[in-house]
Amino acid sequence: MTPATDRRTPRWRARLLLAPMVAWLVLFVVAPTAILFVYSFCERDEVGRVVFSFTLENYRRVADPVYLRIFNRSIGYAGLTTLICIGVGYPVAYCIGRAREAWRQRLLLLVMVPFWTSFLIRTYAWITILKQEGLLNGLVHQFAPGAAPFELLYTPTAVVIGLVYAYLPFMILPIYGSVEKLDGALIEAAYDLGAGPLRVFSSVIIPLTLPGIAAGTLLVFVPAVGMFAITDLMGGARVPLIGNVIQNQFLQARDWPFGAALGAVFMGLFAVTYWLMLRLGAREEETAA
Amino acid sequence: MKSSRLLFPALLALVVSVVPAHAGAELNLFGWSEYVPQSVLDGFTKETGIKVNFETYASNEELLSKLVAGGGSYDLVQPSDYAAEVMIRQKLLAPLDPALLPNLKNLAPEFRHRAHDPAGAYTVPYMSGTVGIVVNTEKVKIPVKGYGDVFSAAFKDRIVVLNDTREIVTWALYTLHRPINTITPECLAAARPVVAEWVKLVKVFDSDSPKTALLNGDVDIGIVWSGEAAILWKENKKFQYVIPAEGAHQFIDVLAIPANAKNREAAHKFIDYILRPEVSVLISEAFPYTNPNLAARKLLSPAQLANPASYPPGSPKLETFRDIGKAAADIDRLVTDLKSAR
Repeated sequence: MTPATDRRTPRWRARLLLAPMVAWLVLFVVAPTAILFVYSFCERDEVGRVVFSFTLENYRRVADPVYLRIFNRSIGYAGLTTLICIGVGYPVAYCIGRAREAWRQRLLLLVMVPFWTSFLIRTYAWITILKQEGLLNGLVHQFAPGAAPFELLYTPTAVVIGLVYAYLPFMILPIYGSVEKLDGALIEAAYDLGAGPLRVFSSVIIPLTLPGIAAGTLLVFVPAVGMFAITDLMGGARVPLIGNVIQNQFLQARDWPFGAALGAVFMGLFAVTYWLMLRLGAREEETAA
Repeated sequence: MKSSRLLFPALLALVVSVVPAHAGAELNLFGWSEYVPQSVLDGFTKETGIKVNFETYASNEELLSKLVAGGGSYDLVQPSDYAAEVMIRQKLLAPLDPALLPNLKNLAPEFRHRAHDPAGAYTVPYMSGTVGIVVNTEKVKIPVKGYGDVFSAAFKDRIVVLNDTREIVTWALYTLHRPINTITPECLAAARPVVAEWVKLVKVFDSDSPKTALLNGDVDIGIVWSGEAAILWKENKKFQYVIPAEGAHQFIDVLAIPANAKNREAAHKFIDYILRPEVSVLISEAFPYTNPNLAARKLLSPAQLANPASYPPGSPKLETFRDIGKAAADIDRLVTDLKSAR
């Protein structure tokens, strides 16, 4: 079996190269997830210590209408955020992807520049803009001195603004990746065959960039469901989302097992979304091929 | 009890935790973030040569979970009253040696021997405060005396309150003239309709910096930590502090030595150093809570003493929290339910 012997050395080398990543995954992904699952079936004592005894009580509590309602609302907020991100991000990604080579890198850099500043500082900047005596109301006052000031901060609108702002780049970058790979010849061919701009867009460009949209949706939707800092800071913590509820179990209620159960259900949700997106991406690539 | 800040500083604190190389010359202090002035730590090191490793947490729950898990090796911790009570019951604290703390005599007697530590054997009061009402008197012209006045339709969407489920339920229990430390399903059922009405009126829930919404003009009235109110008053005298007539939560943050502390001697030295009037007054200047140190109060300026949020006039009804164990989860569910109903 000469071919096998030939391959053996590189295979070992490949394993050696993979080892750090595997170790990282086991330590920081597999192990914590396992702990989360174990905790979610445990109880806790008066002080908040986790007691290792098997119970389904935590999952029964997750099914409480209170938390189901909050799950639904979180999905609603995240869904709306994702839609707005697609609506705003797609044209941006498309323009960058179709811009001249020299410009692309600069434009992409502009998308990423905000990440050089701390997320919390950027959120506080939004508070300065949206607050009642803030920049936006000051500007409105300049042009329409009589108008009543906007009540924007600490409203659901402010939460959605914050979420869209935080996650927009995660939509732009994957779509840009798809747009950049777009074969111009296919678009020209569509025009040659008599399709109008709308038809070209809906039948050629959208299907070809769907993997990017799917990846972006995943990157925006999943973290947006669990976000808690924006709801607290820009929403005034008036309406709890699931991220706030989970955070509370660990920090205020001293109920780690219940928090773990909420987290486990949340991860289940993530897995389902991921699976759906993968199927969507795969199907589209099949049709495209 | 200062505030339950965001998770990020907490995680940072975990990441930078330091293990001492030689325990003899070091003191591992685990305290609230933004509660011990750097000048106090530096002064202690300069005088004693003992290096202070200062780690911070953002909530009593964080401190508790770290101590019960046996993590960290601290010589001194800074829990609030009810958390200290749990620690004493769980035998997590070491008894203090009064002989090493001659400056104990500076403390006002009403802050010692309270329910969390009746014998005063384990804890020394650090700072104290209340949870009360702040009124922007430029916007609010009617007199405000208690919780009932704050949660009225007139102030709809003009109110900030602490984002703390137990606090909110406590205020409701006060208006119902019920005990605040006995949480039963029956008393939660009674509090439910009250809290349900209240959460509809509130514009902002914020434990970290409730003064921000008041300063920004987004709200006109609030129920906040007295330290926040004291800072507002210093900023502008239009922010008046009122202790609710129905009764108010008083918290006493204490210093205590964990049972597994390696350097109890340094811990005692640090406690006694903090009890010196000239040191204690530095803490008051940085964090204008109620200073339990009578000798230090003599060094405060008349303006500082006149701050009604730091030193409320009269003799209001004040009570500390007791540990309520698993009932915390019932309170959390109740308030989460009512908040998400809107």
